[in-house]
Amino acid sequence: MQLLGIDTSTSRVSVAIGGDGDLLGEVALGTPTPRHAEQLAPAIRYLCDETGVELRQLAAIAVGVGPGLFTGLRVGVTTAKVMAQGLRIPVVCVPSLDLVAYPLRYTQRLVAAVLDARRHEVYYALYLPVPGGVQRVSGYEIGSPDDLVGELEARGDEVLIAGEGALRSREQFASLDRAELAGTGFAWPRAAALLELASARYEREEFCSPSDVQPMYLRKSDAEIESERSTGEERVS
Amino acid sequence: MTRILGIETSCDETAAAVVDDGREVLSSVVSSQIDLHARFGGVVPEIASRAHVELLNPVVAEALVEAGTELDGIDAVAACHGPGLAGALLVGVSAAKAIALVADVPYIGVNHLEGHLHAAWLEQPDLQVPAAVLIVSGGHTMVVAMDDLDQYRVLGQTVDDAAGEAFDKVARFLGLGYPGGPAIDRLAATGDPTAIAFPRPMRDEAFDFSFSGLKTAVVNHVRHNPDAEVRDVAASFQEAVVDVLVGKLVAAADACHAKTMIIGGGVGANTRLRTRILDAATDTGREAMLPSPALCTDNAAMIAATAYRRLLSDGPGDLGGGADPNLRLPGR
Repeated sequence: MQLLGIDTSTSRVSVAIGGDGDLLGEVALGTPTPRHAEQLAPAIRYLCDETGVELRQLAAIAVGVGPGLFTGLRVGVTTAKVMAQGLRIPVVCVPSLDLVAYPLRYTQRLVAAVLDARRHEVYYALYLPVPGGVQRVSGYEIGSPDDLVGELEARGDEVLIAGEGALRSREQFASLDRAELAGTGFAWPRAAALLELASARYEREEFCSPSDVQPMYLRKSDAEIESERSTGEERVS
Repeated sequence: MTRILGIETSCDETAAAVVDDGREVLSSVVSSQIDLHARFGGVVPEIASRAHVELLNPVVAEALVEAGTELDGIDAVAACHGPGLAGALLVGVSAAKAIALVADVPYIGVNHLEGHLHAAWLEQPDLQVPAAVLIVSGGHTMVVAMDDLDQYRVLGQTVDDAAGEAFDKVARFLGLGYPGGPAIDRLAATGDPTAIAFPRPMRDEAFDFSFSGLKTAVVNHVRHNPDAEVRDVAASFQEAVVDVLVGKLVAAADACHAKTMIIGGGVGANTRLRTRILDAATDTGREAMLPSPALCTDNAAMIAATAYRRLLSDGPGDLGGGADPNLRLPGR
């Protein structure tokens, strides 16, 4: 059983092919300005060529559905759902924050996965290591780095903070006593982690039909936010 | 025979079509998002991009079913890669590349404006060149000289608002709702187009257009004449826009010795504009080609048809190509 994994929720493009507990290949690309749409399809073709896996052999496509940068996210999600529809296979959706936390499952500490949400905000979720993985103990949240710092202070747990969103705001997290910031090797959601998580879910048939796959945005469009704000004000007055 | 699947997501229509040899339209499916944007009075880019992600799978599936084909029967796949809304374009480009990977066929990126130029040939393959083409929509207003199917140059374009944008803004100001084009078209039919002498902006200056002043003139007139009949305002505004559009198209046709005058773009569905172009063609001894409204507005058949020409002239496109929101046509 082979899966193709795609995550484009950050400035990186990450693609992997593998299955049955074996990673056959992984490509991770990052450029100063995101170029997801340009890089993703050639990366998939390269991986297939080099691993000898044909797309028709795939059992499912796994995709990191965010939260993350909207445009990049849509490139990965659209690619995954359109490919899956063409191949008549299901899609396994995994939140991209889970992909940041999962490789840190061997720590004994609380794990905070943090990705950039722009506008001085971050997407984050908290996890506790459990045998074989991590268990999420918060919602998928959006807030300022200070919101997260406050939440972690209130918990008082020893915490390992990971993700490019945390590295960008490292000064804010420096005030925390019992916290450590994971390095750049753990900063981006990796498709290799996606394949591990998705293989298990595929076995449990936790997948969905390609047309039902949607990015996890967590934030509405500005026009909707503005419109709700003004109707809210009307209601008040 | 070359069968191409085309995808169009440059603005607020999610569209897919299957076209054989750039001529025979087997299917053309368009899912409009008008209702999603109506309450904002215009297209909201982020909402458009999100809707494309939702609508693409069913739209592509329907286009294939209607065409009676499967991905195995497709020889190439094309997407509009500009001009348009950046985030929206990337959804269509990603979808097309995904199909290129799965079906193992070439991917071709197509210029949206080039698509509008070729739409007329889908309905009338024996059109004569040179032709003068007026592309007029919510995002574009330009006249293009086509010396041949693959040889064209932009003669002039709007320096501010597109004509469709002016329709939307005036309709919004008059409280006629969104989209403004069809609303004004309907109401204008009952009004007097000579009631108010609105300015005919830049009618005499080469081939460029300007509509922001006209919009302001409408606003000022209504403010000073609160009792003005809305239908007369609509009809007079529309007449001013149509006067300019037709004037420039005829001037462009004269300049390139056109045998044919063609229209494309969403405003090309305006009934008054269509009538006036037909009249102008008769008056100047030319043929007028007015594609059906479904081919004037954004659609993917024109993308697939243009991709066929690109495939013949340039070969397969680059799987590493992106999108360019400001992509232009050759010319000025």
